[in-house]
Amino acid sequence: MAPVGGLERSWHRVLAVLYGRLPLLSARAARAWTSEESTEIPWSPARIQLREASVALVTSAGVHLKHDQRFDMENPEGDASFRAIPGDTALRDLMITHDYYDHRAADRDVNCVFPLERLRELAGARMIGRVAARFIGTMGHILGAQERRLVTETAPGIARLLVADGVDYVIAAPG
Amino acid sequence: MGLIAREIERAGIPTVTISVVREASVRTPAPRNVFVPFRLGQVFGEPGAVAQQRAVLIDALGALLRLSTPGEILDLPYRWKRTVYRDPLGPA
Repeated sequence: MAPVGGLERSWHRVLAVLYGRLPLLSARAARAWTSEESTEIPWSPARIQLREASVALVTSAGVHLKHDQRFDMENPEGDASFRAIPGDTALRDLMITHDYYDHRAADRDVNCVFPLERLRELAGARMIGRVAARFIGTMGHILGAQERRLVTETAPGIARLLVADGVDYVIAAPG
Repeated sequence: MGLIAREIERAGIPTVTISVVREASVRTPAPRNVFVPFRLGQVFGEPGAVAQQRAVLIDALGALLRLSTPGEILDLPYRWKRTVYRDPLGPA
């Protein structure tokens, strides 16, 4: 018999497929979701031409290096930690740990959620200046204490890393 | 995703956040939002659909310079497989 945690994870994966196929479910979940965020939306004006800019991807699709620690799928509140992913990482060195969306398509082609190759091509075509030194992988589905950790610890940590790397623009995308 | 984008933006880096659940962008807007009516798990497009993935990525980059109001949402006109994606970089 599968351990309880295993059954729970299987159920999450079933739900993930349903949510992927039925957009109304996601819209309903979004309406029900309340968070601690304030109403003030920060703003930094875009001042640099794309062709001169260093661009980073930040994903909540659970993407990380294969040799990095996986995201914790046992905590029902999720895992608010983040993983740095070097901009020159080979696709074969990446994997996805995330039970809360259907990532079978992204397992075949990670560019579906984390368009690392597409961004490199834009750099090659000089549409952007360069690919940032490091990208960021997180997992969505963050609740309760993990959400507080995301706000107070993880998000500022991600911001500091990207500032230290001299990143000009960020494209953030979910799973 | 919006919470992380806000923190990055607060640190001085302009961000654009892609969403496939428009309701989520409305309720917890990131500084710049791009909505694309695709499936969860295929936010940039289908596996191997290079032109489709490029189109979404390039539109998101364009939104960095185009959107000027905090919380604004840009709706992309794509219709999944029913759109013919013109590849800005030419044939892949």
